[in-house]
Amino acid sequence: MIAPRRLAPIALGTAALFALAGCSGGNSANTDDGPSSGGSLVIDTAFSIETTDPGHTYDPTGNMVAKALYETLVDFEGSDVTTPVPGLASWEQNDDATEFTFTLEDGRTFSDGSEITADDVVFSLQRIQGMVDAKPNFLLAGLTIEKTDDSTVTITSETPILQLPAILANPALGIVNADVVEENGGTTDGSDSAQSFLDGESAGSGPFVLDTLDLTSQVVLTKNPEYTGDEEPAYDRVVIRNVTESATQLINLQGGDTMVAMDLNGDQVEGLDDGFTVDSVPSGQTIFLLLNQSADVAGDLANVDIAEAVRYGLDYDALLELAGAGATQATGVIPTGFEGALGEGVTQDLDRAKAALEASGYDGQTLRLQFPNDYPVGGVEFTPLAERIQSQLAEIGLNVELAPAPFATELDAYVNGTEGFGLWFWGPDYADSANFLPFAPGLKVGLRAGWDAAANPEIADLAASAASATDVDERTADFTAFAEAMQEEGPFVPLIVPGRNIATADSVTGAVYNSVWDVDIAEITPAG
Amino acid sequence: MTTTTPRLRARARSPLARYLLRRAGTSVLLLIGVTIVTFTLTNLVPGDPVSAALGEGAAQNPETREAFIKAQGLDQPFFVQYVVYMGNLLRGDLGTSLVTGRAVTADLSSAVPATVEIALAAIIVSLAVSIVLGTLAAYRRGLVADQVVRVVTLVGLSVPTFWLALVSFYLFFLQLRIAPGSGRISASITPPPPVTGMYTIDYLLNGDGVGFVDAAAHLALPVMVLSLVTIGLLTRFIRTSVLEVLASDYVRAARAKGLSGLRVVLDYVLRGASLPILTIVGVAFGALLSGTVLVESVFSWPGLGTYAYNSARNLDLPGIMGVGLVVGVIYLVINFVVDLLYGVLDPRVRLA
Repeated sequence: MIAPRRLAPIALGTAALFALAGCSGGNSANTDDGPSSGGSLVIDTAFSIETTDPGHTYDPTGNMVAKALYETLVDFEGSDVTTPVPGLASWEQNDDATEFTFTLEDGRTFSDGSEITADDVVFSLQRIQGMVDAKPNFLLAGLTIEKTDDSTVTITSETPILQLPAILANPALGIVNADVVEENGGTTDGSDSAQSFLDGESAGSGPFVLDTLDLTSQVVLTKNPEYTGDEEPAYDRVVIRNVTESATQLINLQGGDTMVAMDLNGDQVEGLDDGFTVDSVPSGQTIFLLLNQSADVAGDLANVDIAEAVRYGLDYDALLELAGAGATQATGVIPTGFEGALGEGVTQDLDRAKAALEASGYDGQTLRLQFPNDYPVGGVEFTPLAERIQSQLAEIGLNVELAPAPFATELDAYVNGTEGFGLWFWGPDYADSANFLPFAPGLKVGLRAGWDAAANPEIADLAASAASATDVDERTADFTAFAEAMQEEGPFVPLIVPGRNIATADSVTGAVYNSVWDVDIAEITPAG
Repeated sequence: MTTTTPRLRARARSPLARYLLRRAGTSVLLLIGVTIVTFTLTNLVPGDPVSAALGEGAAQNPETREAFIKAQGLDQPFFVQYVVYMGNLLRGDLGTSLVTGRAVTADLSSAVPATVEIALAAIIVSLAVSIVLGTLAAYRRGLVADQVVRVVTLVGLSVPTFWLALVSFYLFFLQLRIAPGSGRISASITPPPPVTGMYTIDYLLNGDGVGFVDAAAHLALPVMVLSLVTIGLLTRFIRTSVLEVLASDYVRAARAKGLSGLRVVLDYVLRGASLPILTIVGVAFGALLSGTVLVESVFSWPGLGTYAYNSARNLDLPGIMGVGLVVGVIYLVINFVVDLLYGVLDPRVRLA
């Protein structure tokens, strides 16, 4: 029989080996060549990126990276997305808002030192127009893009398009070096094959150039030595890491392994001690309830009275408690910060709710509330939100049954308009209030609620008027009227605009949330 | 004459060759079964992969939708889609991921080594610790050492892996500062030139000591978490196996001969218990490879688990089928290797 005294050294040896493996590297964050001291910036985010080709990108992480690698004709400053400012070009428009002339700034160069010309702009935008399967393709639908001279480009549209400058600030419409991209398979006729090249190296004029792209783990950027823009990138190297768990992001930030954490929820940022800064702002997303107006889907309850009952039956402050830092009550279908947004949201009015419920023909039916249960928006989990809505509506006598499903599964029902009662969210594709007109009757989101144009011609007209406005002030008035009418008679109940929290270590500053590109990496600099 | 020649040839083959051929044949059939099951199941899933893949904005554009559906062959009947899938599979093409837009084979070629690295390290550590603990517990049956081992293994088996991963990350990285942050390597260093895809080995092959130490340090914590669960499973099993062997006549005879305790353990007890241990190690290794989802998620480890999770969440059908196939192949290979090792360890079961 083996003597215990002989087994002991074996056990001890194994344990020692195990311990040694655990300690061998020590804490890389504390070593001298760690990321905090070598001119490197480390950002943790849950990846939503497919490519570094701006022509194909249309995801939050992809937009953030594209913003660092490429410049656009139009720009925004900091987190303000209401006022477009010149980027690579300044612009003028005609009175009908159908023709925009962009004049390129002198002396701007790509990362290979060559000058940016009108040919590059035309090629970049027409390339996207040619690629029908490219995600940003729809942004340029119906536009004619032409070179006027070497430094001027004209963009025309058959209908007024006051939102064009805001659209052109989208990082997906970044200007690429036409010569380089054409040499590597780039075309404007739809046969473009330059994506694999642009996933390996960048061909833009942004403050950074692409070092490596690994879609599963990290994107590494280095400073563009030929950059001629007005930003002053402070870091030589930027590592954007894919960290899907927000709890891991929090520990990495607290442990000094990363300087910026992009996806912490409200509770997590509120628990951060001194030594960290949090930029908490309302995001551009709106979480809302949809009450279907199609009799095929909603039966006897296909009317806006039922939506009004829900709208005035809810306790919004109690719902907001679930959303954490930075979140606000939605004041309407247009979120605050956008043109035409209403100043205040609805307050609970149980009498009005009960009266509307009676008018709706409600007779004790059970409404199935359908929602995605695996897709938190801005840290707001839909399941507890749906549970609270269910209990609040029970107080006005409305029976709600919860019907959660995975996002990818439930999306189908939502997009196809087969949800009778749904909890969803909507975010802008570009920074302009025109993005919220689809809630109108007969348009995309309206139709998902079974609400066709004939259901409310007045609101449909208001939306059409806002879409075709040629004067900024008139347009703002149209959007406001649209938002007010939707709040009175629409089948939607806007609930929450979730907060977006960018948490940073005190060693850096300038990480400000922007609803179009999340964060402008070049604006992040060492503190002090 | 001519009709008997093939039979003669077949007889001339060695038993091992025949066995290998037979196993290879069954494996191919099993693999086809795996493809049918994964393909059918993934296509039965409710939901719209087009909207899931294209996203809100782009999915609304009819032209974009149509182009995508055509490009992915989603407009074809189910059977045609399967035949096309199998045809592509034979050429080594697993399709294009709807999430990353890259070939699934390219995605898997980086995800599989990352998971194999973590699982291999975990099984080695688990086996080493479990053999010592299991044998010790069996020898000290009913005594304090046995009780301690039982409690430790019970903890290992019952603690939720996700919780354990988070707590150990918090403790060893943030509080004690002896483990590095998440990921496979520190942000300050660059990945090794890919050879095996396993960073520790690739750094060694490249002669990069700093990289090796960094990668090994990043490996330690997830391996420790994964090992704890596997140790719980293996130790209990080894204890039982060793107890059975200890009660056998040949071990009593060996003891009676006056052989030293260690010799009895190594030459008789562990050898006798090796077959059941081998089986459970095979099962445990397969489970490690396919079950690292939560640990990979906490430690931001870009492996098979993370890939499977992302694919499932985004209804990435080619990705899901790719993962299903790889896991199926891994199990087949493990079973095959285990069966072969059976023969090596016990001549009685050789080629049975």
